[in-house]
Amino acid sequence: MSVAAPPTHAAAQAVAATKIYGSGDTAVRALDAIDVSFEQGRFTAIMGPSGSGKSTLMHCMAGLDRVTDGQVLIGETDLSSLSERDLTLLRRDNVGFVFQAYNLIPTLNAIENIMLPMDLAGSKGDTAWIDEVVGATGLGDRLKHRPSELSGGQQQRVAVARALAGKPQVIFADEPTGNVDLNTGAEILGFIRNAVDEMGQTVVMVTHDAVAASFADRVVFLVDGKIVDELADPTPERIRAHMNQLGA
Amino acid sequence: MLRLGIKSLLAHKVRFALTASTIIIGVAFVVAAFVTADSLRSGFDELAEDINTGTDYTVRGELSFGDITEAVAPAVPADLVDDIAAVEGVEIAAGGLFVDGVIPVDGNGEAVTTFGPPTAGSNWLEDESLSQFYLIDGRWPVGVGEFAIDVTTYGDDSYDFELGGTYLVVTPTGPREFTLTGTAQFGFPENAGVGAIFSLFDTPTAQEVLGYPGEFNQIAARAEAGADIDEVRSRIEAVLPDGVEVITADDAVEEFSDATETFIGPFQTILLVFAFIVLFVSTFIISNTFNIVLGQRVRELSLLRAVGATPQQVRRSVLTESAIIGVVASVVGLGLGMLGALGLKALFNTLGASLPEGSLPLTLRTVAWAVVVGVGFTVVASLVPAIKASRITPVAGLAEGAGSDEGASLGWKRLASGGLLLAIGLVLTGLGLFADFDGATPQLSTLGAGAAITFVAVSILSPLVARSVVSLLARPLAWIMPISGRLARANAARNPRRTSATAVALTIGLALVTMVSIVGQSLKVSFVDRFASAINADFVVSVNTQAGLPKTLSSDIRAAGIGTPVGFDFDLVQIEIDGDNSQPATTVIETTLTAARISDLDAVVNLDVSQGSLEGFDPGTGLLIHSDVAADEGLAPGDSVDLTFVSGDRVTATVAATFEGTAFWSNWIIDSALYEQVATSAFDDIVLVRAAIDDPEAARAAIDGVMADYPQAQLEDRQEFQDSVESNLNTVLVLVNVFLGFALLIALVGIVNTLTLSVFERIREIGLLRAVGMTRRQMRRMIRWEAAAVALYGAVVGVVLGGMFGIATAVAIPDDIIDTVSIPAAQLVIFLVVSVVFGLIAALFPAFRASRMNVLDAIADE
Ligand SMILES: Nc1ncnc2c1ncn2[C@@H]1O[C@H](COP(=O)(O)OP(=O)(O)OP(=O)(O)O)[C@@H](O)[C@H]1O
Ligand SMILES: [Mg+2]
Repeated sequence: MSVAAPPTHAAAQAVAATKIYGSGDTAVRALDAIDVSFEQGRFTAIMGPSGSGKSTLMHCMAGLDRVTDGQVLIGETDLSSLSERDLTLLRRDNVGFVFQAYNLIPTLNAIENIMLPMDLAGSKGDTAWIDEVVGATGLGDRLKHRPSELSGGQQQRVAVARALAGKPQVIFADEPTGNVDLNTGAEILGFIRNAVDEMGQTVVMVTHDAVAASFADRVVFLVDGKIVDELADPTPERIRAHMNQLGA
Repeated sequence: MLRLGIKSLLAHKVRFALTASTIIIGVAFVVAAFVTADSLRSGFDELAEDINTGTDYTVRGELSFGDITEAVAPAVPADLVDDIAAVEGVEIAAGGLFVDGVIPVDGNGEAVTTFGPPTAGSNWLEDESLSQFYLIDGRWPVGVGEFAIDVTTYGDDSYDFELGGTYLVVTPTGPREFTLTGTAQFGFPENAGVGAIFSLFDTPTAQEVLGYPGEFNQIAARAEAGADIDEVRSRIEAVLPDGVEVITADDAVEEFSDATETFIGPFQTILLVFAFIVLFVSTFIISNTFNIVLGQRVRELSLLRAVGATPQQVRRSVLTESAIIGVVASVVGLGLGMLGALGLKALFNTLGASLPEGSLPLTLRTVAWAVVVGVGFTVVASLVPAIKASRITPVAGLAEGAGSDEGASLGWKRLASGGLLLAIGLVLTGLGLFADFDGATPQLSTLGAGAAITFVAVSILSPLVARSVVSLLARPLAWIMPISGRLARANAARNPRRTSATAVALTIGLALVTMVSIVGQSLKVSFVDRFASAINADFVVSVNTQAGLPKTLSSDIRAAGIGTPVGFDFDLVQIEIDGDNSQPATTVIETTLTAARISDLDAVVNLDVSQGSLEGFDPGTGLLIHSDVAADEGLAPGDSVDLTFVSGDRVTATVAATFEGTAFWSNWIIDSALYEQVATSAFDDIVLVRAAIDDPEAARAAIDGVMADYPQAQLEDRQEFQDSVESNLNTVLVLVNVFLGFALLIALVGIVNTLTLSVFERIREIGLLRAVGMTRRQMRRMIRWEAAAVALYGAVVGVVLGGMFGIATAVAIPDDIIDTVSIPAAQLVIFLVVSVVFGLIAALFPAFRASRMNVLDAIADE
């Protein structure tokens, strides 16, 4: 099946994206012909029951994994056409990623971790922009500290700053607040929200938490590898209502 | 718990194959040493039996001291043969000659030479069974114009001999032409010729050309069937004049194996020493591997403890695991060792030693050693990790960061225990180098133990400095390759214990190599200096064989009027020094004596006389002594000593002068005139020539002309001679370093192992780097340079340590061997560079693994 890429100003887009793990009897259809588009400068939350394919969607869209069928586009670039090396360079230059935990290289200090993608590319990056991002972390004099000397929240803020620093087309975050307490989570989410509002970043975030999702501009609901619903300008209550409706 | 050990082994096959491989190499060395030595022993024993079959007694001149392997037995009169034959119970007796230094020259004018085994002349005997030779082709030579050669030389493609052809044979009485009538084999046809070269003549011819008119140097006899061997022996003894002895076939066989043992034994010992170096280095690698693996299994082990496994059970499971590795390594090492033994024999044979065929005897002793060494070293190496594992608490696995031993305690305890061990090691090493020992074995054992303890101490202390030193050494990396280099440097320094344990193998290997290089270099420099100041001669004539150069060479050069030749002849001697007031007892020294024409000595060497003078030297009684020896023995010009030669002859000599100059001559020198009174040596060991012709080319041509009669001799000018001595020394050094290279190979395996495990441990970090855009190439580079940094650290410590050992050793070696300590700086730099390359190579596999790691697997939650 071939779908012509529609003209769009989406930062990232999936077209009939299908991901099948394994084969034969044990095959799992983690993504089932998903069509979704993430517009520039918007903050999208993805929700859904465990095993619904949220992480898989993140991985495939961020170029960490390849879809079995269909297309994934970052900007105008079709990821399926890229070699392993080009995919890596795309991740480095055009995609930011924040995981639930273990986001930082233990041997590098905070600022070095933030600069990692630029250093890998051998470029200085946009210095003014980086200063802004670094300033926004509020880490101040802790920037020379190793990750082991930072709190969980500080670590996650460094991770978000790293994702932001290279001015990627889109940032994917898979449960970035899954490992921290409520206050810290709110702090991180505020930081992300700020990046979208003030810096015009595009962010896609997976979360299980309705409150966290309410920070987003839009919530997409995933069940069994399919997008079943979505919600604009969400509040925690509306999100919970939708969730209950979906039987999750 | 046993099942757990086996399961864990099977789960990590590659890792344990690598671990085992280090022990395998060590075991293989041990096995190869024993099997090759045993094979040589059995081959030579068989040969000894064979050549003595049919001979019950050997009668020969008695040595007054020393043994038959070092000296030539004095001759016995030919008519003694009849006396022995006439003894009641003796069936037959025949006289034989066995004279070293007889060299056949092939059809192309090339002299047949060996690397050490004799090139002997001998006679064949009518009685086949009494004879030591067996005719293979053609017929036995008869009369003055005929000879036979050994079948090995005949069959050697690099020489050109044909039956019926006429060839020059260099004999102690000069070169002569003979027609080749046959080929023969020493011992039985199936025996190999032990690498010796034989020219055979009939008895009268042998006596004439070998310079034993009316004499033999051994008489073979056989008892009548049924006679009592010992009774007949006593009866033979009764007819023997003074200074002649009779030995039985059993004695002869034993003597032969003792003689062969004098080179088989050291050979075996040297290989075993290398084996133990390899095993010692392996111990560190194995210990390190276990430490890392158990560190990674903390969660699993602590769970086991939580569900009720006792500490003893945990310990036992680790030890069982290591014992299994040890057994497997022993078995594989045994096989590899057998192959190694085959290879060694093939190597010797291509080097010209035709060794006895024979099987490769695998004795129970060899198998026992292989297993004991293989299992022993592995289990010992895993002791500390096993104890550590048994101390893991049931809650350890719950702790954050469990599984990594980063930032482990580097406290005072380590400093204290390491410092103490270092002190012990250095004291032992110092004792080994500078204290007086009776015998080489206790001295070398002390030295070896000292070095081993020092290395252990260094491995304990190393983690204390590893982080800062590695960071310092690897600093340039961060400049050259901004991110890969920075990460490589940080990774190399992040776990000082692991870095140290990985590097220590390289440290030990390189310390040994460095030490050998410094001693070797100092040896060379000392030799060159001494040579330059002590030798005036324009030319040096030398020969490959043990026997030396016929003394006629020097008289021929003198007769031709082309220069002043001085032949140097070395012999064993016993020197009796009467006591003086302070030390009344008589001292007896057994040493090497040099005989040369003292009156011409000035022309070719600079003896550097310190006391007394060579003026008015009396050739019939004079003796020259090295001043150090003179001081040690309390001798001064005018003192007399008694010299006893192996023939039993004694003379009294008077010290005429003491000298400082040393090169190749010994500390005791007498004149050839005095020597000729007591010894019948037809050979010089080396001849120096001061040319009477100014033009070097013309001088060389003139000497060459005289040497046409001595095709075995080689003529070199000063420089060439110096170069060839140096190049011989280099060959030995290279050989030693090749063997030490095995220790470096182990180090390589160690780096591969640690790095593979580290990569596995850092799987999440690697995944993260890949996720944020590190390319595979950058990833590989990062891992490679981490390895290089660790290797460089190990190498730097090794070179420093080896440098200290090397300098100490060079200083400890007596001044007459090494008087200048010289450090081959360029070579040491090359060692460092090579180590870095080693690291890079070692990282190939782990780097590949890391770069191929699936990003998603790596970042997935546990
Ligand atoms: N590597 C894999 N091999 C096989 N199946 C997989 C693999 N990764 C994920 N799956 C399956 O794909 C489906 C989607 O998994 P995914 O991790 O995307 O879910 P998720 O929505 O992120 O769940 P959670 O909320 O628990 O993180 C699940 O059924 C999972 O078991
Ligand atoms: Mg998930």
